[in-house]
Amino acid sequence: MFVTIHIQAAAINDTDSLLSKKKFIPVQDLLQNAIADSVSCSIPFSRAGKLIIIRAKADTTEGNFILDTGAPGLVLNITYFRDYPATTSTDEEQSGITGVVSSVTRTEVKEFSFGCVKSTVIAADLVNLGHLENAKGIRILGLIGLSFLKQFEMIIDYENNLLYFHRIAKKEAATYKSVMLKDPSTYSVVPIEIWNHKIVTRTTVAGKKLRLIIDSGAESNLLDSRLPNKIFENVEILRRIQLTGAGQKKVEALYGNLNNLSIGGQNTGMMPVIITNLEKTCLVDNSCIDGILGFDFLSLHKIGFNFVNNKMYIWK
Amino acid sequence: MRGYNIVFYKWLKACCIVLFILTAQCVHAQVPVRSYTLQNGKMFIALGKDLQKSSIDSFITKYELYDLDLQNFIKTGSPDSLNKLGWKIDIDNKELFVISKPLFSTDNINNAADKIIFTQKENQEGQFPNTGEQVHFGNNRFKNKLPFTVSDSVVRFFLKGNTKANNINLAGSFNNWDPATLPMIKTDSGWIAYVKLPSGKHWYKFVIDGNWKIDTDNLNIENDGLGNDNSVYYKTNYNFNLQGYTNAKRIYVSGSFNDWREKELLMQRTAAGWTIPVYLPEGTHTYRFIVDGNWITDPGNNDKLPNEFNDYNSVVRMGKPYLFKLDGFTDAKKVSVLGSFNNWKEDELFMTKTATGWELPYTLGPGNYEYKLKIDNKFTADVVTKGNIALVIEPNFTFRLKGFENAKTVTVAGDLNSWNPTSFRMTREGDEWIFKAHLGKGKHRYKFVVDGNWILDPSNKLWEQNEHNTGNSVLWIE
Repeated sequence: MFVTIHIQAAAINDTDSLLSKKKFIPVQDLLQNAIADSVSCSIPFSRAGKLIIIRAKADTTEGNFILDTGAPGLVLNITYFRDYPATTSTDEEQSGITGVVSSVTRTEVKEFSFGCVKSTVIAADLVNLGHLENAKGIRILGLIGLSFLKQFEMIIDYENNLLYFHRIAKKEAATYKSVMLKDPSTYSVVPIEIWNHKIVTRTTVAGKKLRLIIDSGAESNLLDSRLPNKIFENVEILRRIQLTGAGQKKVEALYGNLNNLSIGGQNTGMMPVIITNLEKTCLVDNSCIDGILGFDFLSLHKIGFNFVNNKMYIWK
Repeated sequence: MRGYNIVFYKWLKACCIVLFILTAQCVHAQVPVRSYTLQNGKMFIALGKDLQKSSIDSFITKYELYDLDLQNFIKTGSPDSLNKLGWKIDIDNKELFVISKPLFSTDNINNAADKIIFTQKENQEGQFPNTGEQVHFGNNRFKNKLPFTVSDSVVRFFLKGNTKANNINLAGSFNNWDPATLPMIKTDSGWIAYVKLPSGKHWYKFVIDGNWKIDTDNLNIENDGLGNDNSVYYKTNYNFNLQGYTNAKRIYVSGSFNDWREKELLMQRTAAGWTIPVYLPEGTHTYRFIVDGNWITDPGNNDKLPNEFNDYNSVVRMGKPYLFKLDGFTDAKKVSVLGSFNNWKEDELFMTKTATGWELPYTLGPGNYEYKLKIDNKFTADVVTKGNIALVIEPNFTFRLKGFENAKTVTVAGDLNSWNPTSFRMTREGDEWIFKAHLGKGKHRYKFVVDGNWILDPSNKLWEQNEHNTGNSVLWIE
C-alpha cells in the first residue's frame, strides 16, 4: 500500500512562487513504519526554457535543480557549494575516443532530497554552472542525474508540469505499475537499456536501426550527421544553424524535421531535429551515440520510465 | 589496410558526386535545381545557373547562408570566399554548381552542462521570467476584435465567442495567476471581465472550462522563459497624436523607445488626424512621425531637442525630472550634458545659464547612468572630475567594502556599468567604501577595483569563474 499525493500545477509565471506555493509532501515519513521501502510522491515542476526545474535540497542548501536524465549523477554549481571539500580531484577521463582528459572536482553531500526521493552520502561533481544560469536567467544550484532514479518509476507529465515518483520495493519489483498504467490500451511499452549511465532506446528510421539516448536535459533532439544517407532522406532540412559547443566554440549544424522515427513499433510523427557531427561525443566504452531524444520527444505524450524493469511507457 | 581505405573512400566519393550530378541534372530537366542536402556527413548545396536572382536570394534567406556570398560566386566564378569558409566546389558547369562541406564535430558534449547549452533551443538567451523589469515600451496589437476599452484605469478584458463554454475565468500577472478569482461574464458575443490595472505590461490567459488558453485574437504573445506562452496586454499611458494629414496613406511613429525602427508603430486614422496609444516607461523619449516616408517633427508638441540632422526630435518626458547642475563657469558660452542615457550625444542636451552656474532638468527612469559635461569645447571628464560622473536614479542596493582605508580610489565594476572600472566610484563612509546602485531583478556579476586592482567582494561568499580565471562576485536580486 502506498499513497500518492497529487498536487495540481497551475499556469506559472515565476519559478520560485510556484514552487514555494506548491510544496511537495514527502510521504516517506508518514508511512515509514507501514511500508519498508516503497514510497510515492508527485512533484510540480517549472521550466527554464524547455528544461525541467525542481526544488531540491542538498544538505542545508535548497533551490532549483535541473532534472537531467543525461547526467550520470549529481552535479553541484560550485558557486553555491564552494565550502564543500574536494574529496577527489584526480584527473578523470571524461571522453573515451578523443582521449581528452579533464580534471573533475568531486565532493560529497551528506543528504540530498527532492519530493520523496532521498539519498544519503552522495558523490557529486563540483562544476561552474554560471554560463547555464546566464543563459536561463534563473539561479541553478545543480543537476539531478540518473543515479537517483535507479529504484524508481518516474512519470513525466509536461502538460500539467508534474513528475510522479515511486520507489519500487523489492517485493513489488516484478509487478509494480502506477495506477495511471491500469489500462494497457492507453499506452505502449518500450524496452530501454541503461548504458554508460544513460537511458538508451532502440528505434528505427526507414528500416535503419538507431540507438538513441533519452535525455530530459536536452531541449532539442540530436542526430549524428555520420548516420546512413537513408536516414537523412527522412529529414527535411530547414536551415543551417550554429551551436555553442564546449568552451563557447561555435559549430555548424543543420536544423530540420525528422519523419518516420519509430519507437516500439509506433511512428512518432514529425519531430524537429538538429543534425551535428557527434564524432567526439563517445562514451567511456568508446561506443558513439547515434543521437539524443530530448524535450521535443519527451513532451509529445505523457511518458514514464521503470528503471527496475527497464521499461518506458509512452501514452497514446 | 589504410591504403585500401583511401582507395575505397576515393571510389565512394567519385560515385557520390556522379550520382549527385545525375540526380541534379535529372531534376534540372524539369525544374531548376535548388537544393540543400546532407549526404555522407557532408552538406551539399546545388543551384542551377538559370535561377533568378530573387530565387537564389530566397534560398539564401531560407537556409541562412548569408556568409557564403553565393551571388558573388555566381557572378565572378571565384571560389576563394567559399573555400575560405571550408566549402569545396564539386561541380561548376554551364547548368549548375554543386558545393559541399563536411559537418565538423564539436568537442565532446558528454559533460552535462555543455550538453544543455549545446542542445539549447534558439532565441532563448537572456529570457528572464516575467518581472516587468526592462520594459522599454509597448503597444497592443489585436486582430478580429478592438483593443480592450479602459475607463478610470479599469480594463475591460474581452474574449470573443466561446459561448458554449460553461465557465471562463481570467488569470494573469495581476491576480497571481489564480484561475478562480476573476470569473468572466457571458455576453451575446463573448465573455468580459473588468480589472483595475496600473500602467505597464501585464500577462494573462483565459481559463476556459478549466483549460488555460492564450488570447488568440491578441498578437502579443510571450514565452515566460519557463515554457509557457502568455498573452501580453499593455495598459498604455501615452497617446501619440497628429492632427491633420488626412490625405496621408500611412503614418508611423518612430523614436528612441523602439530604437528608431521605422515601420513598427503604425498610427490609426481618427476623424481629425492620427493616433496610437503606447506604454512608455519613465524617462525622456525622443520621436518623430513618418508621413508616407517623410520624417517630421510633431507639430503639436513644442518640447523638442536638436538631432544629428540639424533638425529637431520631439520629446515626451515621463516621470519626475532630475536637475543637472554645474556651479560656476558663468563665462562659458555653452554647456551640454552627454551620457549613457542619450548615447553620449554632445549636441543634444544644452544647459541653461543661471545666476551662479548652469542647470538642466531632464527626466530619467530608475537605473545606473554615467555622464560628463561639455563646457565650450572641453569635457569635465578630462579637466574637472577625472572620469565620468555616476548618476543613480532610485538606488535600491548598496555595495559595501570594508577596510582598505588607505586606498585612493575604489570603484565597483560589473554588469551594471559594462565593467567600466572608473565610472562608479565608491565613497568612504565610516570604516567602509560604499556605492548605492539600482539593480533590476536577476543575476548581477561585479568586482571592486581598489587602486587599479580588481578584487572579489570579500564579504560575498558567492562568486563564479570568469574567462580570466580570476572570478566574479555574484548576487541575485529576487
